[in-house]
Amino acid sequence: MRALIFAVRSLVRQPGRTALGIIGIAAVGALLFDMLLLSRGLVVSFRDLLDSVGFDVRVTATDSPLPGGIRLTDATGAAAQIARLPGVAEAVPMRTATGEVWQTGRPVIGLMLTGMDPGARRPWTLITGADLGPSLAPPDLVVNQSLMDEVGGALGSEVTLRTGCDSSRAALAPRTFRIVGIAQFPFDDEAQRTAVMTRTALREACGDDKDEADMLMVASSGGAGAAVAAIRAARPDLVPVTNEQIVARMQTQGFTYFRQISAVLSTITLLFGFLLITVLLTVSVNQRLAEIAALRALGFSRGRAAADVLLQGAMLVGAGGILALPLGFALSLWLDQILKAMPGIPASMHFFVFEPRALVLHAALLVTTALLASAYPMWLVARLPIATTLRNEVVG
Amino acid sequence: MEPLIEARSLGKVFPMGGGPVHALRDISVQIAAGEYLTIRGPSGCGKSTLLHILGCVDTPSSGTLRFDGRDVSALPDHARSDLRLRSIGFVFQRFFLLPMLTAAENVDVPQAEAGVSRADRKRRTAELLDYVGLGHRAGHRPSQLSGGEAQRVAIARALANRPRLLLADEPTGELDRANGEHIAELLDRVQADGTTVVVVTHDAALAERAGRRLVMRDGLIEREEHAR
Repeated sequence: MRALIFAVRSLVRQPGRTALGIIGIAAVGALLFDMLLLSRGLVVSFRDLLDSVGFDVRVTATDSPLPGGIRLTDATGAAAQIARLPGVAEAVPMRTATGEVWQTGRPVIGLMLTGMDPGARRPWTLITGADLGPSLAPPDLVVNQSLMDEVGGALGSEVTLRTGCDSSRAALAPRTFRIVGIAQFPFDDEAQRTAVMTRTALREACGDDKDEADMLMVASSGGAGAAVAAIRAARPDLVPVTNEQIVARMQTQGFTYFRQISAVLSTITLLFGFLLITVLLTVSVNQRLAEIAALRALGFSRGRAAADVLLQGAMLVGAGGILALPLGFALSLWLDQILKAMPGIPASMHFFVFEPRALVLHAALLVTTALLASAYPMWLVARLPIATTLRNEVVG
Repeated sequence: MEPLIEARSLGKVFPMGGGPVHALRDISVQIAAGEYLTIRGPSGCGKSTLLHILGCVDTPSSGTLRFDGRDVSALPDHARSDLRLRSIGFVFQRFFLLPMLTAAENVDVPQAEAGVSRADRKRRTAELLDYVGLGHRAGHRPSQLSGGEAQRVAIARALANRPRLLLADEPTGELDRANGEHIAELLDRVQADGTTVVVVTHDAALAERAGRRLVMRDGLIEREEHAR
């Protein structure tokens, strides 16, 4: 009889205990799986989000890759210069601002504004209507669904918008824009109201006399690294960063908390798994001491008897670990929904993201736990004094 | 003729809280191949300890043990396991059949452990269950067998790898008289078929069936009797 079948039969003879053990390990494994998904979920999701925009390099005037810092001057010239560099497919200046929609007799609606000339790529996806055109009378405005719902008009309707371009300046006069399209913006959260217009329109709305941009969105043609090197060589005064570098920076700064929480909870989860398996196997071994001693007397070696315990541990963990995957996946969807309800989280970002490496790590951690947890009951079996155990059984 | 078992000056001391307990004192015994030997004596006289040492599940504190001419008193654990698997069969008072396996599977276990092929195991298992009169109970679990039947399965299991020596520790201790008689007859047959049989028992009737009987007291062989 093969060792595997032997171990299966040993487990099946105590169906209740085995079932409880597997369920326990499934619960522990599900939590572990979720912690692994969480540990890199935001990073992976954030990288996907950055990549989905279509630009893989961002060029700013300072070290900050996010809008809101010191702006680039002569943005049009800089974009044109960078666009001509080898390894660069496109460079588009982008300017951000805040805005307010003014409607008679209705509350003011706050929104985020982006000024960007649509090129071959654009960081929004048009859902309906038309994209931005060159018209300035009135200028075109593409809005997200949330803003459209709030404004309540139809495509082609006009809205009065006051822009807030610089906190140091006095309030600007409201201007009229025409809503020509509805688009999805990747960084929007569920409730965020967003609109985009051409950079020229935003510049006029802001009353800027300077050609400034918060950043240049650059698409490489031969890899982000090569484009960054070319930009650095041509414009040492600017700071180009790849999406990967932004992700790496976020990983060591903004997302550290999640990694730490994940590490702590994973460790505790594994500890529970370890204790659960150790207790189950130890109880099982202690109940079968005489039987194990008899098998040893019949010629089972120490290694074979201990391997039987290890196999039982591996099967408990294997079955529980497999059950843990759908359970953990369902749990992660639920937890993701809860966490995404926090304000400011882009709707397309996720806290729990599946990666094949999470599956591999999950399996490796559970296997390691099974090995460690089986060590004590295996040791009990290996050092079992055969004669004394048989004698005690008869006397008992 | 070379004895199958040759024990010289065997001693066994168990360290205890109240001082060491001398379970065996200077025991010397030779058992010829094919012999039937029983060991009797009051509880605590050391007969099970002697059986365990003869069966290589325990080691003597002093003295030497030779099995088939080979000194086995100081063999490492894995070598003693292998010797037990291939050359020694054990029958226990409480049977110790694996409850999750059928009678046939219990007989199959030691053969599988010894690396016997599936076809040979199947053939040997059927042959052994027929030998002990339980061919019709092959698919039954121990819980579905009577005590006598369970002990017969245990004997079949002990014979699975064609051992040269069969050791039985109180094989009728848990059985009624009729079943005990069946087991005694079965042990007679095992010995008649060429296997050396050593039985530890309190049962005088069972002991009387052996060609040679050792009577122990206080860790010593008090006397040796031979069948007339």
